[in-house]
Amino acid sequence: MSSWLSMLPETLRISVPYACAAVAGVWAERSGVIHIGLEAVLLTSSFSSVAAAVASGSLLVGMLAGVLAGVVVSVGHALLVERARVDAVVSGVALNLLAYAATRLALRGLYDSASNSPSIAGFDLGPKGGDVGAMLARVLLDPVTLGAALVIAASPWLLARTRLGLRLRACGESPEAARSLGIDVVRTRVLALAISGAIGALGGVHLAFDQHRFESGMSAGRGFIALAAVVLSGWRAGRAALACLVFGALEALQIALQDVSGTSKATTLVQLLPYVATLVVLALGIGRAAAPRGLGQRVDDG
Amino acid sequence: MSGPSAADGGRVTYWRVLFVVSATLLVLALLCFAFGQAPHAVLARAFAGTWGTPYGIGQVMFKATPLLFCGLAFHVAFRAGLFNIGAEGQLALASLAAAWVASKLPASVPAVVALPATLAVAMLVGGGYAAIAGVLRARFGVHEIIAGIMLNRSADVLLPWVLAAGLGADSMRSADIAQGARLPRLDFIPGLHGSAASLAFPLAVLCTFGLYLWLDRSRAGREMRWIGQGPDACLAQGVEVPRRRIEAMCLSGAVAALGVTGTVLGYKGYYELGLGSGAGFSGIAVAMLGRAHPVALVSAALLFGTLAQAGLAVNASVPKEAMAVLEALVILLVAGSAHGDRARRARPGRAKPPAPDAPAEPSLDAPAEGAPSPGSTA
Amino acid sequence: MDGLLLELVKVSRSFGATRALHELDLRLSPGRITAIVGENGAGKSTALRLCAGELAPDAGEVRVGGRALHPARPEEAIRRGVGLVHQHFMLVDGFTALENLVLGAEPMRGLRIDFAAARREACALAERTGLEVDFERRAGELTVGERQRLEILKVLYRRARAVLLDEPSAVLAPSEVGELYAALRRLADDGATVAVVTHRLDEVVRFCDEALVMRRGELAARTPLGAERPPELVAELTRAIMGREPPAPLGRPAAPDPGPEPVLELGGVELRDAAGRRLLDGISLALSAGEIVGVAGVDGNGQRELVRVCAGLERATAGTVRVGGRDPFAGVHPGPAAVRAARRAGLVVVHEDRQREELVLAASLGDNALLGDLGAGHDAERVARRLARFAVEPATPRLPAQALSGGNQQKLVLGRARDRQVRALVVSQPTRGVDVGTARRIQTALAEAAAAGAAVLCVSADLSELAALCHRIVVVRRGRIVCELPPDASEDAFGRAMLGVEAA
Repeated sequence: MSSWLSMLPETLRISVPYACAAVAGVWAERSGVIHIGLEAVLLTSSFSSVAAAVASGSLLVGMLAGVLAGVVVSVGHALLVERARVDAVVSGVALNLLAYAATRLALRGLYDSASNSPSIAGFDLGPKGGDVGAMLARVLLDPVTLGAALVIAASPWLLARTRLGLRLRACGESPEAARSLGIDVVRTRVLALAISGAIGALGGVHLAFDQHRFESGMSAGRGFIALAAVVLSGWRAGRAALACLVFGALEALQIALQDVSGTSKATTLVQLLPYVATLVVLALGIGRAAAPRGLGQRVDDG
Repeated sequence: MSGPSAADGGRVTYWRVLFVVSATLLVLALLCFAFGQAPHAVLARAFAGTWGTPYGIGQVMFKATPLLFCGLAFHVAFRAGLFNIGAEGQLALASLAAAWVASKLPASVPAVVALPATLAVAMLVGGGYAAIAGVLRARFGVHEIIAGIMLNRSADVLLPWVLAAGLGADSMRSADIAQGARLPRLDFIPGLHGSAASLAFPLAVLCTFGLYLWLDRSRAGREMRWIGQGPDACLAQGVEVPRRRIEAMCLSGAVAALGVTGTVLGYKGYYELGLGSGAGFSGIAVAMLGRAHPVALVSAALLFGTLAQAGLAVNASVPKEAMAVLEALVILLVAGSAHGDRARRARPGRAKPPAPDAPAEPSLDAPAEGAPSPGSTA
Repeated sequence: MDGLLLELVKVSRSFGATRALHELDLRLSPGRITAIVGENGAGKSTALRLCAGELAPDAGEVRVGGRALHPARPEEAIRRGVGLVHQHFMLVDGFTALENLVLGAEPMRGLRIDFAAARREACALAERTGLEVDFERRAGELTVGERQRLEILKVLYRRARAVLLDEPSAVLAPSEVGELYAALRRLADDGATVAVVTHRLDEVVRFCDEALVMRRGELAARTPLGAERPPELVAELTRAIMGREPPAPLGRPAAPDPGPEPVLELGGVELRDAAGRRLLDGISLALSAGEIVGVAGVDGNGQRELVRVCAGLERATAGTVRVGGRDPFAGVHPGPAAVRAARRAGLVVVHEDRQREELVLAASLGDNALLGDLGAGHDAERVARRLARFAVEPATPRLPAQALSGGNQQKLVLGRARDRQVRALVVSQPTRGVDVGTARRIQTALAEAAAAGAAVLCVSADLSELAALCHRIVVVRRGRIVCELPPDASEDAFGRAMLGVEAA
């Protein structure tokens, strides 16, 4: 029975990387940059956080390094798309390939392993013990989770009410209009992608710290599920995070089901759900109108 | 705003080639130093393992085969203005289906029956899976990039399940295929003996030239190109835009599915999880490099095939992932240098370069053509 | 308000191989309304965009208030007090009018935007200038007039002392034009520099203080408009613009006898969008063979939808379209199949946006000549005929369509349309963006089509074109035909009908 009750902390724990990546996607696409490189952000940030933590012995340094790596990848995407005029889809696909190969390469170079890094200690704050209350407390007291929750909660407000938010959305809706008002569309988008990268990186850091190590390809498609959440939410940060909570609950359910019976048919269906739901919702035309109008549009410099 | 998309990588100029090659070599050198190796020694080993020996050449062809099919697949869809980034899933599902059918064939079935039947199944499954994205785009206005990603991931989830539950295989591989469905190796060519190259590579080259010709000459091919360049005009003039788009997507999926010839039918003789994975994405790069001409497409596939094989050749001194890093880098450099090149050509006083083959920039706000939606005009 | 002098000094600017401006000297002085007139491609819009920092000159200097505009970027021009109102509105449709107003110049309160202060300032500004806009509505839901007022308010909100407008009256009804210039006059009286690019010479003569005539990227004439404004001024300006005598007025073909049965008949055509709003609301219209009927109205009042229904791209939610008594769309889904059904019935449509809806710009002339007719055989012959019909220059089938001028593109489009079997011809904005000579050729072609027995329905924003060409003109407003007027009705009568003033 405890496996059922433990689904609540499990859901929260599992949802963090999804939600971070999804909100990162919202920040990017609201500014008008198609971002299918969320996998790359997750992978590089988790690797960097572990590598820095191993090297420095400090989890905080690891966290910072992870966030920095996410920002670098994300800003790199923005510069490739907006400055070098690489197609956003091509750039995203290439960055995903690059991140996968580069982290594996670094694993072999640094730790002479094809699959995983050495273990690191986690933050491990909160009470010990296996009961649900202690599990929940541990999940909630995790600094990465707290940081992620904070930025995710602040995102809708930041996008709606602040100067940066308004300008960023203007660039996503009508880059031409934004430019005519003297807003530097490229710079705004690069800034948006920097924020996006930092938020997404928190997800990557969480992934690695949660496992106490980096594993090759450990993002395992979470970036793509997050993208599904972005589309399902109609490009809204709050709803995207909620959708990820649902995905997290489904995954927790799937783990619980495996514990109970080991049936693979049910788990396959559960795994399929986010993708199929996205396609169905889009086909019904529910989310289509919500896409930023200027998504993928560039402005030409005079 | 509606300039040619950055995938306008068809035009190859000396400036670009020089830039891409030197940047790639620089990164390779840095990686070699990082692993304590002399770059020239690594390069020499890489060359020896690829173009240096007939065996190496055979291996390059073997590696290039699925890449060429997937590149060709991307190109077909791109001509009609569609991004088929679902080749990965299409190839995987088609491989599984082809391997399953071929393993069920009695050993007595001759090759003239077994091979076409197996290929037909593969193309049907690949084309059918791609059709989902095509129909969603043409009839429901769902962008094919999103659909492609979701379908790729769905295939990833479905494959192990189908293998385990559907086929009853306990290991993650199918049964061996019938002898008649196997593609002959290129063993008869002296020197290629022992390499994994099979008839699949010449077949891929043949398909490339044939399909380019068909796209240029046939009515369907010409209309697909027009649709890629100006969908609104085509629609308003009565060209069957939705139907042609679905056709292009199906064709693309079917071509991607032919990648199975290089992996299952020409090499392994069975399907296992992960076989041929990555070709779908690398195919995008192949298509970007070689869209302009079939020779360019084949060369691009050989280039990436060379990188993959070189990775294995140098693996003892520099991990093979280094070559995968280089591959991603080449994609970005090629795509990125297109802009600098375009900007140079568009300088005042010089004629604006015509971009005869570049579809309009794709936008994620894809309207469904032919769907009764008066609101779309508002 | 301090005056702000704008100067272009020996400015040249090219786009690719096309030279837009050549050593242009231009002065826009404060306290007056300056009109910039000229043919399409004379460089008028380019000159404005240079002043507003949207383009950088290849050579020469743009001076704002006596100092060079550097860097040549919109933010710098805005900072220096220059504001440009684009021909195509630069509004974020999903934002409210207020958000659009403050975008880029947001009043802040701590971290967040102080919308309350913005609203106060916006209302004060609206009151002072007489430019009323509902600030809480989304820009996409505003009327064309409101959108224009919002654009001007945006410029003023940024404390612009020079207001530049590109074709501001193209989308307005005649009486709205009067209001626009009244507001501009108040600004000029306040000391602002006001410059207007326009095609409408009657407006120039009525409302402006000075006319700068541009031809081929150079300043051709500068005409101060004093207190005396004789009627022949318009003809004088026309000569200056064209650099030669204007062509003789078009002779309208004689009205045909109404036949026993109309060739093209719209019966209560209604079109609703997904939200249920009526885009077309019971349009009924019958055209006999040989008749030319015009459709006038402020842009966005259902003209585009009307054409799309006739083309078969939209299905009327109620009512029918009949050609020779038969409904070509019965049992056909809207889309390519319906387009072909209409064509089989002899209903041929030419859409307004020729570069998007008529031509594949990257494809060759030969391909474009066959667009929609591929597979019918005799390709080469057909291409040659369609290029030759209205003498497309150059008639090289391998050339991409984007290499042609606007006028030649339209000749190709019409050549293709006329080469089909035509019983009814629906054309939209047939001469928009086309030089005067070609425009005359196209209008003659329409008259010839009617003379050959086709029914012609012509949608145009150019009232003088409709008046010269049509036997009768219907005025549409909010998707409805509000009245039918004879071609010689006064512009005032059209204006009232287009805005629905006569009901009040």
